[in-house]
Amino acid sequence: MVALFILVPFILLLILNLPFKFLNAQIAFWLSAALFLIQALLALVHSWLPWSNYSVPLGQFFKFKLALDPLALIMLFTIGIVVFISLLVAKSTITTEKRIFNFINLLLISLIGMNATVLAADIFSLYVFVEITAVAVFVLMAIEKNRFAIEGTFKYLVLSMIASVFILTSLAFFILASGDISFVGIHRAFLANSNIIFLNFAVGLFLCGLFIKCGVVPFHGWVPDAYSEAQSAVSVLLAGIVTKITGIYVLMRLFNSVFVLKGTFGNVIMLIGIISIVFAALAAFRQDNIKRMLSYSSISQVGYIVLAIGCGTPLAILGAVLHFFNHAISKSLLFVNAASLEKKFGSTDMSIITGLGNQLPVTSVTSLVGLLSIAGIPPLTGFWSKLIIIIALFNAQKFAYGWIALLASVLTLAYFLLMERNVFFIKTETLGEDKGGVPFSLKFCEILLAAITVGVGLGLPFILNSQILQLKGFLH
Amino acid sequence: MQTILISFIFIPLIAGVLAFVLTKSVRGICALLAVIVNFLIAIFLFKKEAICTFPWAGFGMDFSLRLDHFSGFIILAAAFFSLLVVIYSLGFFKDKDNSSQFYAYLLVSLSFVNGALLANNLIILLFFWEGLLLTLFGMIAMGGRTAFKTATKAFVIVAISDLCLMAGIALTGYLAKTLMISEINLPLGSLGSLAFILLAIGAVSKAGSMPFHSWIPDAAQDAPLPFMAILPASLEKLLGIYFLSRICLEMFKLNPDSWLSIMLMIVGAITIFLAVMMALIQQNYKKLLSYHAISQVGYMILGIGTALPIGIVGGLFHMLNHALYKSCLFLTAGSVEKQVGTTDLEKLGGLIKKMPLTFVAFAVAALSISGVPPFNGFFSKELIYHAARDRGVIFYVIAVAGAFLTAASFLKLGHAVFLGKPRQEIKDVKEAPVSMLMPMGILALTCVIFGIFNYLPLNSFIQPILGERLKEYSLAGSSGDWVLVLITLAVLLGALAHHLIAVKISGNALKAADHIHYSGVFSVFYSWAEKKYFDPYAVGIKLINKIAKIFWSVDRAIDWVYASLITNITFAFSRVIHKIQAGYYIIYVVWSLVGAFAVMSFVLR
Repeated sequence: MVALFILVPFILLLILNLPFKFLNAQIAFWLSAALFLIQALLALVHSWLPWSNYSVPLGQFFKFKLALDPLALIMLFTIGIVVFISLLVAKSTITTEKRIFNFINLLLISLIGMNATVLAADIFSLYVFVEITAVAVFVLMAIEKNRFAIEGTFKYLVLSMIASVFILTSLAFFILASGDISFVGIHRAFLANSNIIFLNFAVGLFLCGLFIKCGVVPFHGWVPDAYSEAQSAVSVLLAGIVTKITGIYVLMRLFNSVFVLKGTFGNVIMLIGIISIVFAALAAFRQDNIKRMLSYSSISQVGYIVLAIGCGTPLAILGAVLHFFNHAISKSLLFVNAASLEKKFGSTDMSIITGLGNQLPVTSVTSLVGLLSIAGIPPLTGFWSKLIIIIALFNAQKFAYGWIALLASVLTLAYFLLMERNVFFIKTETLGEDKGGVPFSLKFCEILLAAITVGVGLGLPFILNSQILQLKGFLH
Repeated sequence: MQTILISFIFIPLIAGVLAFVLTKSVRGICALLAVIVNFLIAIFLFKKEAICTFPWAGFGMDFSLRLDHFSGFIILAAAFFSLLVVIYSLGFFKDKDNSSQFYAYLLVSLSFVNGALLANNLIILLFFWEGLLLTLFGMIAMGGRTAFKTATKAFVIVAISDLCLMAGIALTGYLAKTLMISEINLPLGSLGSLAFILLAIGAVSKAGSMPFHSWIPDAAQDAPLPFMAILPASLEKLLGIYFLSRICLEMFKLNPDSWLSIMLMIVGAITIFLAVMMALIQQNYKKLLSYHAISQVGYMILGIGTALPIGIVGGLFHMLNHALYKSCLFLTAGSVEKQVGTTDLEKLGGLIKKMPLTFVAFAVAALSISGVPPFNGFFSKELIYHAARDRGVIFYVIAVAGAFLTAASFLKLGHAVFLGKPRQEIKDVKEAPVSMLMPMGILALTCVIFGIFNYLPLNSFIQPILGERLKEYSLAGSSGDWVLVLITLAVLLGALAHHLIAVKISGNALKAADHIHYSGVFSVFYSWAEKKYFDPYAVGIKLINKIAKIFWSVDRAIDWVYASLITNITFAFSRVIHKIQAGYYIIYVVWSLVGAFAVMSFVLR
């Protein structure tokens, strides 16, 4: 049944492109929206479904193996939500029918790519699906035909290709060392302890590739341009989920359950994480464009996840998974807020759009929810993940990392409050020019995401028991 | 029986949500009902013990609530103050339209405070403790658009101290291998001391001690007044000092030999002195009170920091007394603001004839805070003096100097607001409505009762907290050291004399402290304070901006590598390649052949 997560979007994609007149953007929108929501729902209730453990030969349809575990379910849920939001944003920000139709097609391809990445059980198909996702996103980004968007796309493309070279090379080494591409086979090769230098070299290369995909400092060159210059809907998709799946998920999966490594690698990952946290938070201070500020904040938050993955204790991994989810939701929320501002005032420059608190009540309140969650204030979700990461760091005796991570969250708070003040609360004479109202679908997205942020924060114990703690197997 | 503990959290929380959505006429009643029910349950459960645990998140994070004598007492006090402030707000917000927000924030704050007081697990404690940030931010920010800046400042300062608490909790959890407060009993080793300091930072900054104080005076000006009476004056003090005593008495056993005890005493002494110095020169009713709210925390920290039973009893008694008279004082400030329309001391004067009842409440509370016998402040301060003298004369001297300055500044305040000649503008001012007078009256009356019959609160509330440590003697009555009492009386008379002489010389009650303000060394410090050199927030923001500037240039340098260097090199290469690739396909063929030759020779080597 697992294969349905890949097959259904694929079939939908084929159907939508049949040469029938009635298959217009409207139909495509509703069908794909339903698909995304169903995916999120299925992932949520999966463990209660009668057929969850029932496998049919359909899985044989593919030549590669698929595996579904609780981690993958959380990822599938997040993917469903964020892709749904991205679709709604596209619906209200892209004007021509034709473009919406193209957007939906590409979105479906990236969905297939991400779902398959999450489900893949061997390292080569993992790589292929990561690339499928990336290519779909390149095209999505380049839909916006202006100079900056192309420049952003180009930066992402070039660095992503460098990453691909690294990853492919290391794949070759893995295959050489283990004679197998499945996770189990590679794991066995690591355990057999043969060719250890050889494997370490390969892991190093692989790590570099993943760091580029994650966009952590100092591999982050492409992130600010790519996130901020793309279409709003693409920003949500890219910042909310694509880099997370193609970078962080892979890192989490491979470094936690496939590779068997000595401590140095953990230290390197933690170091990169902490550098990203501090560096990007400080860089975010000096941004005058909301989307750029959010991009730097993204880098910084990804740093927390990477830090926790590097720490590697079960509690830390739990924190990383939680933070992954929180960050996907909250950052999507903030990018939707940015889209609303852009829609209403035609700009995301904070010197132009100031003092909007009264004009956009929904946007200003939900953005406050989003930023407080990222800054880690209870009862929002961000509090729990940050707390768990910090406690895990202290428990693993990484006191210095714990301290820096704590202090950096003050910076997070500070730059977000700065943004909030500039955009929503400063009283100025020169208000931004009004370019029309915010469509209902955007408001709906904002409210939905804010509700998830508050709801998960309040209901965390329940969610921990029903969803996250299912990870136990994954957490050793 | 045990699950009734949850009602302390849920009743105010649900009522808060209701108050937010209900119409104006009912929301006040809704809030009132909630706090009354909360108060009744608190009375019912006082002196009872209960533990209620739910299996929760795993990893040692259990949802565990514990009611014992100590938390029961603080919950009762918190319920009492919120009841009075809600009654007061019924009058204060009568013709203001943002009352829904206020009641909602107040009730949610009460719920979180109750949660934090009951929490038996450090994670639960932190959850409620940090949740207070949101309501704090909201309550200040509702004061208007200018208040947003203050709210941000408060938010950042409190968030930083809460992060210290978080680090402390993580460290404590690591050391003790458990997060249950009742099971933690750590020695003050090297890491243990660090954990103690971090937890103590969280506690004393919640109480509003230096150097985490600088948002309170700003908030006094911007936030709606009942906020000051409920959070900084009472609930936060109760919570902060409660947790500080829990740390000192239970989780770590602080004893007088420890250097941490001295540290706490130094923090207390510095807070007493610097804050009261600032209070002395304020020209605004609310701001002056807010500096006293900081200064008085110093006494509590000093008392608990002595680690002597008598000091701890004094500190806790002072916490209770302070909440009584300081919320009373803030409420009188609110009445004056509501009836006159300003709290600027220069525009006030002679209000005694217009608002006699408010004046009586003010006078009682001012006498209490100055430590005049037989009001309650006198007894708690005597206990603290006693303990401070036993630990070091210098602490005693600072505490007494603080008392002198407190008395002086309240003489100035009372003189400037209520005595003197009435101004033209306040001609048709009326006394405050009953709903506002009643809470003030109750508070003032309690101040007197807790003073004259001080064995009541001491025996029933405070001494049982220390349990066995106090077995042999009761501290009711007075500390029994008449020398200290005589010194106190002399100091108070000195303050009165100083005020009278200063008024006579300067001719104006407002200028009674000017000779201190503008004298030599002090004037320099005061001018630095006005430039915000002593405000950690302002200094921190400046510092962060500078660091951010540096990092930003590094980021640009990296971007330059990607955006300019690589493209330029690429272009340079492409120019070379462009010259080679002139479009003759025969050359491409040659290239391919050469390439193929190279590959084959490598492969077949």
